[in-house]
Amino acid sequence: MTSGAESITAEPRWRQLLAYLTPDRRRVFYAFGAAILVFVVGELLHPGFASAESVKAILVIASFVGFVAAGQTFVILIGGIDLSVPWVLNAAAILLVTTSLGRDGRAAQAVLLTLALGLATGLLNGVGIAYFAVPAVVMTLGMNGIMEGLSLGLSKGLTCSSCASYAPPAVQDVVRTDVAGVPADLLLWLGITIMITFLLSATTFGRRIYAIGNNETASFLAGISVRVVTVALYMLSGLFAALAGIVLVGYGGQATLGMGDPYLFQSIAACVIGGISILGGRGHYLGTVAGSITLVALVSVLLAENMPDWGRSVVYGVSILFILLLYGRERRQL
Amino acid sequence: MDASFSADFGEVHALVGENGAGKSTMIKILSGVLRPDAGTLEVRGSPVTFRNPHDARALGVGTVFQELTLMPWMTVAENLFLRNEPQGRTGLIQRRRLAARADEVFGRLGIEGIDPYELPAGLSLAHRQVIEIARALLGDPDILFLDEPTSALAEQEVDWLFALVRSLREHGKCVIFTSHRWGEVANLADRITVFRNGEHVATRDRLTEGEAVTLMTGRTIDRMYPERQPVADGLPAALEVRDLRGERVQGVSFTLRRGEILGVGGLAGQGQRDLFMTLFGAHRQTGGELLIDGKAQRIRKPSDAIRQRMGIALVPEDRKTEGLMLPMSVRDNLTLAVLGRVAFYGVLKPRTEQAYVRRAVQRLHVQTTRPSVQEVATLSGGNQQKVLIGRWLIAQSDVLLLFDITRGVDVGTKHDIYELMMELVAEGKSLLFYSSETEEMARLCHRVLVMREGRIAAELAGEAADAEAIVAASLREHAA
Amino acid sequence: MTTAAETRPYRSRSRLQHFMIQSAPLLLALIILAGMGVLYVVLFYRQLSRFPGNFEWTSVVNTSMPLVFAGVGQSIVVLTRGLDLSVGGMIDLANGLAATHMHSGAGSMLGWSLLVLLVGAAGGAINGVLVAYGRLQPILVTLATLSIYQGLAIKVLPEPGGAVPIEYTKILANPNGPTSLVFVGFIAVVWFVFRRTRLGVDVYAIGNDEEAARAHGVRVRTIKIAAYVLSGMFAAAAGLFLAATTTSGDATSGDVFVLTSIAAVVLGGISFFGGRGNAVGTVAGAFVLTLLINVLFFANIDPLYQSFFQGLFLIVAVLLGTLIRRLVGLRG
Repeated sequence: MTSGAESITAEPRWRQLLAYLTPDRRRVFYAFGAAILVFVVGELLHPGFASAESVKAILVIASFVGFVAAGQTFVILIGGIDLSVPWVLNAAAILLVTTSLGRDGRAAQAVLLTLALGLATGLLNGVGIAYFAVPAVVMTLGMNGIMEGLSLGLSKGLTCSSCASYAPPAVQDVVRTDVAGVPADLLLWLGITIMITFLLSATTFGRRIYAIGNNETASFLAGISVRVVTVALYMLSGLFAALAGIVLVGYGGQATLGMGDPYLFQSIAACVIGGISILGGRGHYLGTVAGSITLVALVSVLLAENMPDWGRSVVYGVSILFILLLYGRERRQL
Repeated sequence: MDASFSADFGEVHALVGENGAGKSTMIKILSGVLRPDAGTLEVRGSPVTFRNPHDARALGVGTVFQELTLMPWMTVAENLFLRNEPQGRTGLIQRRRLAARADEVFGRLGIEGIDPYELPAGLSLAHRQVIEIARALLGDPDILFLDEPTSALAEQEVDWLFALVRSLREHGKCVIFTSHRWGEVANLADRITVFRNGEHVATRDRLTEGEAVTLMTGRTIDRMYPERQPVADGLPAALEVRDLRGERVQGVSFTLRRGEILGVGGLAGQGQRDLFMTLFGAHRQTGGELLIDGKAQRIRKPSDAIRQRMGIALVPEDRKTEGLMLPMSVRDNLTLAVLGRVAFYGVLKPRTEQAYVRRAVQRLHVQTTRPSVQEVATLSGGNQQKVLIGRWLIAQSDVLLLFDITRGVDVGTKHDIYELMMELVAEGKSLLFYSSETEEMARLCHRVLVMREGRIAAELAGEAADAEAIVAASLREHAA
Repeated sequence: MTTAAETRPYRSRSRLQHFMIQSAPLLLALIILAGMGVLYVVLFYRQLSRFPGNFEWTSVVNTSMPLVFAGVGQSIVVLTRGLDLSVGGMIDLANGLAATHMHSGAGSMLGWSLLVLLVGAAGGAINGVLVAYGRLQPILVTLATLSIYQGLAIKVLPEPGGAVPIEYTKILANPNGPTSLVFVGFIAVVWFVFRRTRLGVDVYAIGNDEEAARAHGVRVRTIKIAAYVLSGMFAAAAGLFLAATTTSGDATSGDVFVLTSIAAVVLGGISFFGGRGNAVGTVAGAFVLTLLINVLFFANIDPLYQSFFQGLFLIVAVLLGTLIRRLVGLRG
């Protein structure tokens, strides 16, 4: 009976390295490839599209998607989904401006309070899903409605006295200024990317997430507290949606109604393009990053094409399908 | 793998072989569920290809699979007539008549005690097996495959099935069945084909059990199973269970000694699985006491069981759905239960992990070249099972609950597992063991508890615990 | 086990008990509908000192019809363990097509109705093929086709406008009386027939256990495509009803149905895991959602808080359903 737990030294080095490129890791490369492809196509159609300024702008917009998609990545990895991001984001934005009233003095409290809001909604989502067996689609859908109602009601349709406030200058600065030529917002995204990648790949928490996503029953029987992890991940999703709300309102200055709506589809699509399996258990946040960039770049190309609204929608949908068919197909039954 | 055999009309043909020998796969191919990689299939003398189960059915093939395929949310009647429903003049299915028709069918076949309006979840495993058999018979097949049809059936039901099979033979049909119970095979079969490791070994009209086992395993009985060491006396019990109650556990009491292999037998579906799950904390315990190493403990969830000073481990029945994360690496699967030990405040320590993995892989002879990357899904069934067991070896559990761990595993791996079990008890660990092959339990266990309807109906020990006695105790009906 | 003849039919409990247990989610949906209806009447009376009359009930029925159709289509797909998010886009498209092309005259109305249904079927077929043969997850495919159909809808009708002939409105969304209940009856009949066809049984089988269904000879891929085609057609029908009710077109008015159709399915007691549930429950769910809005209105709840109560209601209804299922011993 042969046993071989160490790599066989006779094997060429490149072959060993190649083995570490599992299909899931390859998808991350494909996702970045897709992003580059979109930039190339954009440059061909509109010279200047891939200029430094243009790329920077696209990346900043992509980061907004990336923040929301970070939370979405976590919950999709365990086979769930978070449909409450639109109004958690929106509520966070509104909460930030109305608490800080556009002044730096209360900025810190406002930010903390807003992030706490994200955590709280995530907690409710997670508990409903993990402990009360409410399907994720229903729970987060309901939560979205709840947040929408609360936001609209409490802010009286965003007509309350403090609603027209701006985000605190400190927040606006973080989002809009450059640090050594690189937008601070991108540095924030980079930091978050590193943290999440580390969390998923190098910690026991990450290992548990993948285990649950691949086989919840087996994880339970291996002693993993599936419920606790589930709640934690939905809390993270809420946290990131709130963060996105803060950043967005810092970028745009004021809160608007419906500012979170586009991010639902985009966060899910970014994850899938990035190679995260919607069934759970497979994928990396790096892929989501690439997916966010691809998506936003695609939209930008379409916008630059002066295509009518309807054409953009159609091309958008077709492109997503095309990319999915390329590398997003489920495997055959094992 | 190279397998061939033939069967005639008017014959009852038995396929025997160990778990993992290929019998179920053969039946799946012959039923059109799986496609063969190579080879030919002839029905009534002409070559055929089954592209799907439909083709097989069209040629008169009926099958009762080992894994029951009842639709969980359809009633018994709906399940019975699935794809065979009675249609009215309008071409629509007559749902109202389904139950009455079901009653008729049951009456005709001599089946009683099954409510056609019931959902499968409300039925015993035996009844579910009976319904599957009835369903296969509805199509009036000329060739009937029965894969382990009696694993859950009690004496009366087994007699019923045998009468049925004999009647089919009289009518010129061909019945091919598999079974682990030698008594049934000898009783019923006209011819016996032996498989081993995916290959056809022999076809005979007559075989003694000893000859069969030798053909099935390639070794004589004595050398297949390792020497069983006696249990040391005087040591405190590892596990003491007093009147345990749970979902289908109706008051179970027993003691598991250190260094002992205790078997839990009985017909399939009598509560054995629930007993294991309840002991492990995976199912809710509604009554009774559990003493681990002499102290009463509350086990509410698996992590409670695992984290005991005398750790408990469960190797569950279906490694694919309950045990392994197939797309994850060998390493990931192995260290899953001991993540705390291979990490520093939550951050994984690759070298520590690698060491654990290497040791486990070497001890179990797992065939894998790159355990940190190789997906468990790509391993053979035997190696997969080893990985699952390896997880609990790494966890250094003292009490191992092993549920049908040799299912779908090749002979070589089986032998490795037996040896491992002996090593473990020699180290002082305790094993609770359930197997669908009574022979295994008889040869490996020091004692065997026979379960019936959630209770322990009998306890056999030592010499008295041979395969025949276990089967006899399992089949015996409740005293009135 | 005896031999033949002597066996009397065995029943573990009465047929009624079986029915109650197995149809518990459907019964719950009907009870909620009844409760919501009562609540509506009570609040209406409290506000206006009279009971809701012909006008009010007609309005409720006409407003609910689009969701009824959208929900039933969604139900079929959910039964196969899938999801159709593109219904919103298909409703937009159907609405737009009807508003721009339909003219007075039986020929035009009938012809365009059929054409729109065909468009729905085509859209559904695209979804179905991508799911069945492309092996893509339903939620992703339909998310993408949602975008495509929305785009096409805007092409057809860039600005809200167009007109639907009055005769059409009279037929589908009669303003003078709740005659559209006829269509509800029509759906009930269609469903009755559906459950008794091979297609219907296969749909349920796939949702129960796709692998087992395949082993039994169910043509899984074909059936899945059929399910999405039906969903597309029902969504198109919903678009026609919407056009009839609003008498004009708006290429974005269908978007909200993505989520409300899911809510109707959930309230109707259909499980997302597939394999069980009854579309009659979804019809009830659709009416419940419409009544809920009216209830909130007559309870003098600030309309800004409407979504709050809708979301809360949805979650509570599901929790209730789970609780009841546990009580009667149904698992999951």
